[in-house]
This record gives sequence, structure tokens and C-alpha cells, in this order.
Amino acid sequence: MEYAAGNGTQKAMTPPANLLAKIEEAISHYPVSKRSASLPLLHLWQEHYGYVSDEGVSWIAAKLELQPINVLELVTFYPMFRREPAGKKHIRVCRTLSCAMAGSYKLRDELAKSAGIDIAAWNAEMQGHAHGDQGHDHSPKKITGHAVHNAGHGNPVAVSPDGEYSIEFVECLASCGSAPVAMVDDLFQENIRIEDAAALWKTTTSQANRVLPTPPHPREHRLIFKNIDKQGRGNDIATYIAEGGYEPLKKALATKPEDLLEEVKKSGLRGRGGAGFPCGTKWSFIKRGGPKPTYLICNADESEPGTFKDRYIIHQDPHQLIEGMVISCFTVGASLAYLYIRGEFPEGAEILEKALAEARAKGFLGKNILGSGFDLEIYVHRGAGAYICGEETGLIESLEGKRPYPRIKPPYFPAVLGLYQCPTIVNNVETLCHVKHIVQMGGSEYAKIGRPNNTGTRILCVSGDVQKPGYYEVAVGSLTLGELINDVCGGMKPGRTLKGVIPGGSSAKVLRAGEQFKIKDAMVRLEDLPMDFDSLAAAGSMAGSGGVIVMDDTRDMVEILNNINEFYAHESCGQCTPCREGAQWMKKITDRIVAGGGVEQDPATLKNVADNIAGKTICAFGEACSWPTQSFLAKFKDEFAARSTKALPPPMPPEYTRDELIQHASIPSVSAPRGNGHEVMAPAATR
Amino acid sequence: MSTEVPLLNVQIDGVWMQFPKGTKVIEACSQAGKFIPRYCYHPKLSIPGNCRMCLIEMGMPKMTPDRKPVLGPDGRPEIGWIPRPQISCAQDVAEGMGIRTDSPLVKECRQGVMEFLLINHPLDCPICDQAGECRLQEFSVEYGNSHSRFLERKVKKPKNVELGPRVTLDAERCVLCSRCIRFMKEVAKDDVLGFVDRGGFSTIACHPEKTLESNYSLNTVDICPVGALTSTDFRFKMRVWFLKETKSIDVNDGLGCNILIGSRENHIYRITPRENNDVNGNWIPDSHRLNFKYIQSEERILAPTVDQKPAAWTEATKAAVAKLKAAGKLAMIVSSKLTNEELYLAKRLATALNITLHDTLPRFETPDGILIPSDRNPNTSGARLLGAFTKEPGAHLKEIVEGVRKGTIQGVLSLGEDLLDCGFAHEDLLKLKALVVTSILPNASTKAAHVVLSGAAWAEKRGSMVNIHGRLQRLNKAVEPAGESRDDWEILRDLLEATGTVAALHSIEDVFRSMSQDVPAFAGLNLGKIGDLGLQLLPKQETATVTA
Repeated sequence: MEYAAGNGTQKAMTPPANLLAKIEEAISHYPVSKRSASLPLLHLWQEHYGYVSDEGVSWIAAKLELQPINVLELVTFYPMFRREPAGKKHIRVCRTLSCAMAGSYKLRDELAKSAGIDIAAWNAEMQGHAHGDQGHDHSPKKITGHAVHNAGHGNPVAVSPDGEYSIEFVECLASCGSAPVAMVDDLFQENIRIEDAAALWKTTTSQANRVLPTPPHPREHRLIFKNIDKQGRGNDIATYIAEGGYEPLKKALATKPEDLLEEVKKSGLRGRGGAGFPCGTKWSFIKRGGPKPTYLICNADESEPGTFKDRYIIHQDPHQLIEGMVISCFTVGASLAYLYIRGEFPEGAEILEKALAEARAKGFLGKNILGSGFDLEIYVHRGAGAYICGEETGLIESLEGKRPYPRIKPPYFPAVLGLYQCPTIVNNVETLCHVKHIVQMGGSEYAKIGRPNNTGTRILCVSGDVQKPGYYEVAVGSLTLGELINDVCGGMKPGRTLKGVIPGGSSAKVLRAGEQFKIKDAMVRLEDLPMDFDSLAAAGSMAGSGGVIVMDDTRDMVEILNNINEFYAHESCGQCTPCREGAQWMKKITDRIVAGGGVEQDPATLKNVADNIAGKTICAFGEACSWPTQSFLAKFKDEFAARSTKALPPPMPPEYTRDELIQHASIPSVSAPRGNGHEVMAPAATR
Repeated sequence: MSTEVPLLNVQIDGVWMQFPKGTKVIEACSQAGKFIPRYCYHPKLSIPGNCRMCLIEMGMPKMTPDRKPVLGPDGRPEIGWIPRPQISCAQDVAEGMGIRTDSPLVKECRQGVMEFLLINHPLDCPICDQAGECRLQEFSVEYGNSHSRFLERKVKKPKNVELGPRVTLDAERCVLCSRCIRFMKEVAKDDVLGFVDRGGFSTIACHPEKTLESNYSLNTVDICPVGALTSTDFRFKMRVWFLKETKSIDVNDGLGCNILIGSRENHIYRITPRENNDVNGNWIPDSHRLNFKYIQSEERILAPTVDQKPAAWTEATKAAVAKLKAAGKLAMIVSSKLTNEELYLAKRLATALNITLHDTLPRFETPDGILIPSDRNPNTSGARLLGAFTKEPGAHLKEIVEGVRKGTIQGVLSLGEDLLDCGFAHEDLLKLKALVVTSILPNASTKAAHVVLSGAAWAEKRGSMVNIHGRLQRLNKAVEPAGESRDDWEILRDLLEATGTVAALHSIEDVFRSMSQDVPAFAGLNLGKIGDLGLQLLPKQETATVTA
């Protein structure tokens, strides 16, 4: 990173030539709308200057012929953008569930200690600023000289007094199987031992491309992950071609697109992003030969907590994805495609850029691909730290250079009114990789893997309290949950027993140990539940994105739920009322219960708040944020009841403050006199 | 005629009705008497569907395998209800659609949204200007809960933010419906508002470099369903429930935006636009709505004067006519700001006084491309119709000025214009043997006049005007004329009678009746027939006059 002279001012109002060249290049990737280049330009600006100043906002707006507010809207939405410099060395620690279970809070505190940051004082000052509930001022500013205030859209950044080091909590970095993880500047670090925290500051190497020495488990069926963790294998195109790569593309280009679509339909492939929608059906919504162009977007915004599969495809086998994309674009008739990769994968984005250039050089991309007459350009587009960009219409808005507010459906179904109001297909990384294999082996052959209506393989990402967390590619439904945990993952840690499991990413409803489910007139034990789309749905949860989070008997379910609620409160885009208000409210309630202020009404209120969100929002985030609360309350009722014991006599507020509820063992039936009758103000430090 | 729009059968709360294709579900329900509460939906703006207040239950006919609707015992389609509630603002009605607006699920949805909107709201109605016309208050009573379950700290957001010179934001009251953002982008074409921060911290803001300065900014205050955006001019001035609302029209240009004048005890507090889709839609320029303070100015001429001395009305009118008659050759300047009734009487007065040379002061400027047309006189069309000028407005002004300078014209009657605006120099006025003017505020002409007749301001009188598109519209009286001032039609009637004509006009209705008999364009009309939204009097001109 290069910093302009002087702290806090960006003197160079005309960016240097090398930056300008990168900016022009970025703009050229968006032939339809310059506005789409907003995020790339903000990234370039921050990479160069260390943060995005007010001047940067104005310069970018002018460059893209936008109003300054259009750019300010983005800088204040995406947590990865800072409006003030962080430390010279900046560490992002993952705060989300699997990492938190593996000690990321402790890790953050240790990092702070080693950097000379008084985290206790800082916490006290920040309390209520970041996620909080009290003070929040939308213009970022230094609060005490050691904090960059990013409240309102991100977690605040703690900066050491000498300005050398800074720490930031971030939401899921998508490597839950190797928790806790962090990013030192752009360098990914995993399996961090708390005692080694101080050494992190000196890290100069990334662990993003590390190859695991362990061979696949015998129960695995590796199709997509065939080349993952192969010792000594490079991710370059020569290696890929030597393995027979891009042969399926040649086969596809010699086939009629309608026939390819038929193969995909025959394969029974269901989307691997979370909803499990049949891929062939989605593609058949595209009307070929219309007046508008068709676009394809690869959703590489892997961000559902508990999910960490796309990361490895991108890092170790990028050409598999590119080949899948080219075949898919050919099938749906798209000649411009974007690869929307989450901002937290900077190394992955570079690998993909390099792989695309290689593919272009070999004629697998660009004009007249392999003499077929088919043209295609694929560009990488980086997100900037927003879970909501995983929602396909939110992703499209983000790609258009707007706040990623999901669109209402109807009328904005992507297949009809998608990117730039044109027909658009959005598919997950893993889904697009499967297309390559479907072409390779034929749809009917592919459909033989797995179970009817649950075909193919799927990568299960296991994190949490098992002996061997990690990724396991299996034929869909070939394993039961019990086999996955006890055989494949080596069982629970010594002396521990299973308490609960979230089977499909943190928004999937939790399943409790000992539960039995009625599936097709038979009672099925939790351990015997096949890991496929239909069985998990029948059990009242979902296969989702394949992220399995296992919790043992030492876990406090109230704290687990609070961690999940904090994630969703932070990631709600804020567009529609129930989710914006409700996600934050649920988090505040669980936060208070954890702090010892639970009242008898809390479980009922929590459930009702969740019920008032689910099914009433613009996008599926409403369900995603309320299902955890609904299911944890239902499955672990006693735990919540035990923490929500304070009797709260009517009338309810404004008679009692949050702090009183926490501090007092019981609430008096007659409320204390309050002078002028106004609510007691919190001390200045916490406001 | 227009092409036939097919009617679709829709079941609303169990009753089958018909609506034209293209009707929004939310509008269809309103038409059926089932009002659906809403915050973000506005018929003139794009549809974001973000407030979730208009959730309803919706269904479509159950279909047989060969795609025919399954009919129930009543011969009507059986409806398969969608399990999830749907927003009613984003969908058009469809054949066989079923809608439930009063089911337990719908009630639950509304209660839920109301609670969400209020948990972080400051509940400061006692000091909020929106109180009394606040959708949060109204829908809370109608659809909300009686108590709060919220035990947490509320989100703190910016308050008292000056978004621009005329609009103040209280972000804590904001429900983030985005109406203001969409208005500025889609209607005012000045994309200055946006959201900053995210989730529960989302806030309306503008970039400090480009603030809310548009001449249409105050429309955001009108469409703000809550007290988040308030008019810096009006805030803290008056409780809205005390305001008497008078339907009238704006007189700042030839469009004649339909307005509501909010007044209390003879004092005007604010002017807001009134929907008229044939004229101004729902909007009005800030410059126009705020241009009423002069009516209440300390400077107002409160009584007639003769030779610059206060006089009784009978004395003043008699003196005016006597002085004009004695002066010699006369000319008349008549303002195109006058109502049709006044212009009609002015023309009759001119005839009685033998005035053949008369004209009006044209005011043409660059149109703003939105609502403000080039003609800044409100009644040029009426003046043309009633013969206030010949050929084009202002064609004879030069001749009149020259006549005064040469001494061929010795007397001028100016109705509502300052002669200095019409090309006269101050010394020209001093040459006149008789200068009679009507005015509400002092100016060079009133100071030089032999007789000043203090008229009523536009908000103090009734009458009609014809806008640039040939639409006949009504002014209504919101407040009494200041001091001894009189309605201009009465002044003109008295001047007419002082010339010896028997006018027999006792009310504004009499004047209109007389006008409708003399001027064919008004035949068969009266003030009542004009209606609140006006009526098309002349064929709508296809000329390039720019309006919205």
C-alpha cells in the first residue's frame, strides 16, 4: 500500500498515471454502463491511497459521470471501504460463528494487546457504536485517536496509538473449516493459534493456496474437488489442459445449445448456492433470440457462514470454473459474463484474472472461440464485504454500481429483467463447475450419481466441534448426517457429545441431537438423516449451501444464536422494514439475554419478531435471519427460558432501561422515581 | 376514441368486481373501498416495494391440467391462495385474481410492520410538525399495537440536518421509504438524495458537495409520509389541525398549479400542492409555494388614497373617474394577473371611459423544463379571450409610453401593474394629468398616482383564470382582504357605476353570469361548474409551451 504524504489527507487529486491506467482498464470492463465500475474504482482508490477520502468520492463520481451521492452511498454501505486510513498493517479477524467458536474474540484481544491497543477501553468506547444501539454518527471520525469510526456499515477499526497497526472484526471470511481465520492486509491466514497472535503482524506469506496433505476420505466422490489438494499441482492452464481440461468445451461447442440445455435438464442438477433450484429449468426461462442480450453471472460471493467450498475451486482449480462458465454461456447464449467474487477473496480475484488471461490467450475466451463463431468475454468483479450480494438481484444491483438492494419479484426476475434490465442467469461457482462434468459425462450418466431429484455430488463443508472439520465431496445423499460427523469427520472431540447441528449454512434451521423426524411415514433419527436436499427439507431445515456447523455439549445456545443474530443484523441491507428493524431487534434481545438482562417475555417476543420477518420481506434474507431464531428457540427452549427469568411487571417501557434490566437481579414492581420523568440518559461514554 | 381497455374480474374480500387491465392491486382495493395502508408507494413514482405495509393475501384461479380455471359452485373461479403475503403496490390486477385485505394474516403483517417502524422512532409527536398529517400516527391507530415491547436502546441518528436551504431532516423519524430519493431522481431530475450506512443504521443524506437545492425540494416534504422531512419555513409555526385549507390555484405562472392554502385566523402559514393530473400532477415549485409572504407584508396598502391622502371608497372611486374623464385621452394598462371577472369588467370600464388604447404587460422567461412555463403571467389566456390586449400581449405598450411622453395621452388607468415595469420612466408619470392605479403594495406608480385603489391579493378573493393550456380554473378566498382593501371586481364595478353605467352586479357570480352572456367562450358556465379541478375551456394547445 502506498500512502500519500501527510496523515489523513490525500493531496494528489489527480491520480498518478499507473492508477489512472488501472482505472481506465476497469471502466473498459463495463461496456454497457460506466456506473458498474464504481466498486472497482473504489477498490483501486483504496489500494492506492489506503482509504477512500471525500476527494476520492468526488473524483470517482465525476469520472463515472455520477452524482457524488451515488458513490457516497456505496462507500458507506460496503464495510471493506474505509473513509480514514487504518494502520499500516491491517488485520481483519473473522467474527462469525465457526471462528467465534474457535476463539476469534480471544484472538482479536491478543492481537490488540500485541499491537499496543487497549481493547478494553476501546470496547467501552465503541460499545453501541458499531452494532450498537446507541450513538452513531454517520460521518466517520476518530474518536480517541485510536479508532476509525466505521459505524453504520462496518465494524469499527481499532488503530494502535502509533498508527502502525489496526484490527477490524469482519463477518465470515468463508474458511470456517480452518477457524479461526484472519487476513493480514490481503494475506489470508488460517488455523491461527491464539498464542501465535503476535507473530501475525509479521506475516508476509498467505496460506490461501496451501495444499492439504490428507487424501480424500474413502466415502468421498470427488468430481469438482478432483484436483483440490493435489501435491505439486499448479493452477495454471497448462496443468489443466494436460489433465484433459477444455476438452468438454470443445465437445460443447460442437453441440447445439438446445441439446446442451437438454443434457443439463436430464442431469437433474440443482443449484448449489442455497436454494437448490433446478439449473436446467432456470436456464430454460431464457428466451433465445430476443431483442436484448443475455448475460451470465457467476455468483462467487460465497458468504453463507459455514460455507467454504468455492474458495478452493477458485484458488486451486480456476480453469474448471472458467470452462464451466464458457459452456454455460454458450448454452444460454450469453456473450458477456461477470464473475462476481466476494471482496474478501483478493487473492482469488487475482488468480481468476490470471486464469482468464490464460484462457483468452489460448482462444477459449474472446472472439470466435475455437473457431466456433461464439464470442464471449468474462470479467472479474469484486464485491466489498456484503452478504446481501449473494442474493442474485442484490448482486445484480451491486454489479450495476448501486447499493445491493434486492429487487422485488415480480417483476424483476433475473431471467427476464436482470443485469441492465436484460435476461440474466446467475449461478453459483460449484453449479457452473458441475456443468462441465455434465457435458463431459452426459446428463443421464451424471444423474446416476446421488439419489433421484438429488443428483450429482455436493461439497459438504463441516466446521465447528468435530475432530476433522473440512470439505468433503460426496454423492448427494450417500451419507447420513451421523456418518458425516462420526465417520468422515472423525466424530466429536474427546469426551464431548453432539448438541446440535446446522446442516446448510447459518440460516438453515438448527437440528437438535436426539431429534427424530417423520419422513415418508417413517421416523428417522437425526444421525440417520441422508444429507440431500429433500431429506433435510423434510426434517424442517435445508441443505442450503452445504455448510454444516456442528456444536457439542459445551456450547451455550443463547450465545450461539446471539452470534448468528449479530451476523444478520450487520448484514441486513436495510432496504425493507421487517428485516432492517427486526434483525437488529433480535440481536439486541439476545445480546441483552447474554448480558444477564433476560426477562420472561423475551423468548415469546423473539419468536414473534422472527415470525414477523419471515415471509414478509423483499428477499430471502428475511427467512435467513429469522430461521435461526425460530429454530433455536424451538429446539433449545429450556436454555432460553433459563436465561429469561426476570419478571417484568407491566407496564412495559419506557419504565425500564436496558441497563437496569441487566444490572438488577429483579425488577421492582413499582418503578423507581425518575425526577422529571424522562428516561435516564446513559453515561456520555456509551452514547 | 381511445382503444377499449379490457375489464378483468377480481375478487376482493369475497366480492367479485371488475377493473380495467393495468390497474394496480393497491389502487383496485382503494376503488373497492378497501384502503391499503402504504408508506413507500406513490402513484407518481417508481415502485421499490420496501415498506411492506401494503402486504395482502393474493391468489390466482386454480387451474385444471389443461389450463382451464376450476370453477366453484357459484360458477366463479376457485382461488388458489399464495401462502406468503404479497405486496399490493407492485402488481397489476389479473383475470380471476383473489385478494384478501382483511384476513388475520394481513392484520398480523400490518401490526408487525407498524411495530418495526416504531421501535426506533423517537415518538416525539408533541414536538413534531407532521403530527396531524402523519401516516405513522394514522396507521398506528388503525393497524398498530397499543403498547411497545421494545426494551432496548433506540438507534441514534442525525437530527436537525439541513439537507438544503428549505428542507430539514430528522433521520430518527424517517421510515426509509425512499419517496424523497425517488422524487428527486425521477421528477426533479436532480439526483442528490441517497441512503448512507446500512441495515438498521441506514439514513437519508445528501453529499455535502451537492445538497438539496432544487426548486422542487419542498415536494419531498409533502410526500414524506412521516415527520422526517419538514419545511424549514413552516416548521414550528402552526399545528396543522388548526389550518383551514382553501382550494385555489397558484398565480406565479401561466400553468396555475392547483394548491391548498393553509391559513388560520386570516393568516396564511403555508401553501401545498393539490393533485391535478391535467395541470401540475402532485407538485409545485418551491419558488411558487413560498411566494405568499408579501400578502401579509407590513407594506400593504390598506386603504384607497386620493392625491396621496386616505379617502373613503365612494370618494376615491368618484375621484378616479372624474380625474380620468377630465384628463383627456386615456390609456389603460391591465395586468394579466387579473382574474377573468376583473378583466371582463376592465374591458367594460374601458369602453365606458372611451379608452381604445390598452395593453397588458407580458412576462416571458425561460421555462424550467419541469413545471414552470415561459409565461409568468397567470392569466394571459384569459386576457386574450377577454380582449385585454389586441394582437400580442405588450404590442401596444411602446405606443402608450410614447403617447404619454409626447403628451397625446394625458391619463392612464393601471390595473395591477407598476408602470415602471411597463417601460415608463419616473418623469413620464409626473406628466400625467390623471394616474389611477390599483395595487396591493406600494410602488413608483402608487406613489405618483392621483388615485390609488387598494385591491385584494389573490388569496383574498374568488374568481377564475385560464391557464396556458386553455384550462379554466378557480381562485378561492383563504383570508380576508387586508385593512380596507376591496375585492378588485367590486372596485371595477364601482368605477363602472361612477361612469354612469348601471352595472347591477352584486356578487362575483353576477359578474361571471354577465361575462358568460357577453363572451361566447364562457357561455353556459358559472363558477360552480368549473369545479375544484377546473375544466378545459379552450382546445388544448399543441404549442411548444413546456410543462411537466
